[in-house]
Amino acid sequence: MSLLRAAVELEVIEEQNPDAKGTEQAYEGRTPWRLAWGRLKKDRVAMVSLGFIVLLFLVAIFAPLLTALIGHGPNTQYTTSGLSLSGIPVAPGHNGFLLGTDDQGRDVLSRIIYGSRISLEVGVGATAVALVLGLVMGLVSGYYGGWIDSILARFMDILLSFPILLFAIAIVARFGPSLDLLIFVIAMFSWPYIGRLVRGQVIALREREFVEAARALGSSDLRIMFIEIAPNLIALAVIYATLLIPINIVTEATLSFLGLGVLPPTASWGNMIAEAQTGDLFTVAWWFLVFPCVALVLTTLAFNLLGDGLRDALDPRHGRSNITPTKRVKRSARSSGREKDNSEGKRA
Amino acid sequence: MALLDVRDLRVSFDTDDGTVYAVQGMSFSVEPGQTLGIVGESGSGKSVSTQAIMGLAPGATVTGEALLEGADLLTMSEDELRHIRGRTVSLIFQDPLTSLHPLYRVGAQIAEVMETHAQMNRKAALERAVELLGLVGIPEPKKRVRDYPHQFSGGMRQRVMIAMALALEPKLIIADEPTTALDVTVQAQILELLGRMRKDFQTAVILITHDLGIVADVADDVVIMYGGRPMERADVRAAFIEPHHPYTQGLLQSIPSYSGRMGRLLPIKGYPPSLMRQIQACPFAPRCPQAHDECLVAPPPLKPVGTSPGHLSACVLPSDAVGLPAHDAQATPAEAAVGGVEP
Amino acid sequence: MSTSTQGDLAVDATDAQVLLEVDDVVKHFPVRSGALIDRTHAQVRAVDGVSFSLKVGETLGLVGESGCGKSTLARLITALHPVTSGHVRFRGQDITALNRRQMRPIRKSVQMVFQDPYGSLNPRRRVGSILSDPFSVHEKMSRAEVKRQVQELMARVGLSPEHFNRFPSEFSGGQRQRIGIARALALRPDLIVCDEPVSALDVSIQAQIINLLEDLQDEFMLTYVFIAHDLSVVRHVSDRIAVMYLGKLVETGPVEEIYSNSRHPYTASLLSAVPVADQAFRTARRERVILTGDVPSPVNPPSGCRFHPRCPKAQAICATEEPPLEHKTGDPIGHLTACHFPVNPGETLANASRDAVPAPEAAVGATEGVDQ
Repeated sequence: MSLLRAAVELEVIEEQNPDAKGTEQAYEGRTPWRLAWGRLKKDRVAMVSLGFIVLLFLVAIFAPLLTALIGHGPNTQYTTSGLSLSGIPVAPGHNGFLLGTDDQGRDVLSRIIYGSRISLEVGVGATAVALVLGLVMGLVSGYYGGWIDSILARFMDILLSFPILLFAIAIVARFGPSLDLLIFVIAMFSWPYIGRLVRGQVIALREREFVEAARALGSSDLRIMFIEIAPNLIALAVIYATLLIPINIVTEATLSFLGLGVLPPTASWGNMIAEAQTGDLFTVAWWFLVFPCVALVLTTLAFNLLGDGLRDALDPRHGRSNITPTKRVKRSARSSGREKDNSEGKRA
Repeated sequence: MALLDVRDLRVSFDTDDGTVYAVQGMSFSVEPGQTLGIVGESGSGKSVSTQAIMGLAPGATVTGEALLEGADLLTMSEDELRHIRGRTVSLIFQDPLTSLHPLYRVGAQIAEVMETHAQMNRKAALERAVELLGLVGIPEPKKRVRDYPHQFSGGMRQRVMIAMALALEPKLIIADEPTTALDVTVQAQILELLGRMRKDFQTAVILITHDLGIVADVADDVVIMYGGRPMERADVRAAFIEPHHPYTQGLLQSIPSYSGRMGRLLPIKGYPPSLMRQIQACPFAPRCPQAHDECLVAPPPLKPVGTSPGHLSACVLPSDAVGLPAHDAQATPAEAAVGGVEP
Repeated sequence: MSTSTQGDLAVDATDAQVLLEVDDVVKHFPVRSGALIDRTHAQVRAVDGVSFSLKVGETLGLVGESGCGKSTLARLITALHPVTSGHVRFRGQDITALNRRQMRPIRKSVQMVFQDPYGSLNPRRRVGSILSDPFSVHEKMSRAEVKRQVQELMARVGLSPEHFNRFPSEFSGGQRQRIGIARALALRPDLIVCDEPVSALDVSIQAQIINLLEDLQDEFMLTYVFIAHDLSVVRHVSDRIAVMYLGKLVETGPVEEIYSNSRHPYTASLLSAVPVADQAFRTARRERVILTGDVPSPVNPPSGCRFHPRCPKAQAICATEEPPLEHKTGDPIGHLTACHFPVNPGETLANASRDAVPAPEAAVGATEGVDQ
């Protein structure tokens, strides 16, 4: 990926040439966010992913409008036009069903459109709850350290090692499935991911000189946590929220697949896949299994790619250390740079 | 013939945030056995210059000429360069820990250099490594060859680097801020060692540093860099006693004089130039107290100045206008404003 | 003999002009290991019994190599770290015994300028917001008033007041250090501890910052503790010098006295080790002492005089008996040296040098980075 290379090279330049830091001078408009946006804009993969996600949100928001335009409701069973005489679903492109129909004669496209609402609602909602919890718990745990940290850190470890599916089955059995419960359960088990990352970051930030400076001024702990440290966590939070959303979307699909999440006939990508698999009709009419899967895969992929891009744009150092911390990268980067030099030299 | 002759070197980097013009027309030469100090502040391009020449500036666009014994380094392949980096030219960096492999014994690392480049066998190479470690002042070298880099202190690690640099008796050592990470008393040890090794091995040295004191201590000649270009070149005595370029003069006057307190310091006003654009004038002109209109037209070329041979300055001022102005004459009220004004 | 040192301090303390008194301050950091249970098995003796006092308007230069404890001492004076033992008195009040609320007025009077102009400013906050902190923490002011104060402050330290909306990354190193100074200056403190304020800056920028600090001192009657490893900078700004080695003061006295008549062999070698650009001084300097070995680890400092393993003049007693910081015969008042065999005027240390090859290192991988 050219993006990774670029991040690596930039880092290497800064590392090897302390002189290159001299470029970090009084430039107008070189705010951290604008710099990151500049880097992200050059990342084609991330930008395409971002475009896809924006589109997905629009689709979810305007779902009623879109299905009205298509002319097929998500839960309507088109027994005459949607199923053949022998009860086989209509193939994509026939009878005005762009992506075909399912075994009950419902429009797959309309159901996918409505399913995106559930996916995003759960994915974004659960992630938002997890983010708030993770940030606060991570901040408190990392900033105070000591026994507070010990307790919170252990708690996070326990949650992370908990079998979420068993827990979800138990809860759903007790309270009955509902969307809010789904969001709550998923958030409960995903905030420790954020919490642990935030905690680690806070432990590092706590020792920075600007925090020391704030303490020298007599700032309160709350002030230091939320005014000094928290703004430095936003990049991390944005990156990992973006990466957590697809995980939560998949979790939702999984739970719905198992009948623990969104219940039919309400369309969700998970229960669409589940329903398609109940019979062996999908061996003949593949589309009503494949298209929800494609929607799910594309969505998770887009979020993941955007998350990667964001990480490189907001936090190049981190991205690099994840790829290759060895010198070998530098050497290969160096030699490729060298080839460039040679061609330049010969041309000159 | 000069050992290394660099002419009109230009180095730029394409980064996500724009092109960085790190070096914009650097020229210098080193004679065999000579110690050349390259001095400059951060962003002056002093390190990038030599890194680019040696093929150690990844992703850089490099133009110009760098003749090592007549052969242009800039047109060589990576293989040829690697060969030269081992045999003819050795490099010493600021942080020896990043240059030494953490998981190999230092003896093995020094020996490996000799095995690959001088076709020595393992045993002879290891023996030579012990010898070299002793030479650079590492006590009990026989025992220490078996140690790992982290078992050495900063000063000792830099000694190991010097031993490794000397292993193949190169004609040129490029030392890039070799003592910046060290304490003053340890720095003195390393500088003394470098000086001694240079005499014993008759090696030419390029010493890159921001510290004028180190250059005054160690170098024969000095090149003062600013904004990616050479401002002045002279033998050390002339550079410090009869500086011609206003930048050199400003630099010297910025140092709290060691010989006593002299009231207020005389800083150079303003801040160094941005490297995000090419400078088509004297890079120092915006901060120069004696800037003329012609300084803004084109960068002045190096011209002979003063009385000592080889004294060159890239300044339009008359060539006999050398030496520091008297301190009192400079400490005028106009200067008082300098401390607190932003460009 | 140590009673005489205490006596000197007592005299100082009664002086009405004394602003800061550091009295036998000790700071040990535990070295912890163990994944499950923290076990303290060693102590980094960062500061190990340091005493001095500081008068109003004075500048004390604190000099030493990495690991000598000068940065830790700075953080003890500014109460960023609690002391292990000893007392820090500010205007006679012992600040080591104060709780958070009692500290508030002291925080206004004692400020700090940090070394790293990149690390000491929050990269995600605008400069105007960073500089308004002192006012929002300590004063009840309207937003407009805070903004006016911030802009006034920026102008005073040589920044364009219009730039208050910028992020730190939009400034150069020198400008950032001006911001750091403005923050320290905001509440009109009496004492500013400058922890290597110019060592991260280029020479030409250094001079600007030093001049600024000197101007501010005159204008606001500031007292400085100025920490640096650059001896020429310290000499330029200081009235008095204190030289630290491995957590102890080895010599202290008026600046010219220390530079022209250093009595401790460590001070003498430190001064001689500095590469000097000034040609007049180069010819005047009589000798160069190259010390052997590295600074030992403060976890396990040498016995007796901590400098003895590297000292060209060391004798048997130096390894067993710790020399007190005391006045030596013939020195002016206020010049104190902790040495059994102080350097005599005219003596050449280089001859006393024990051997040219460095002695085996006392502690391997010794001290880097301990001085945090």
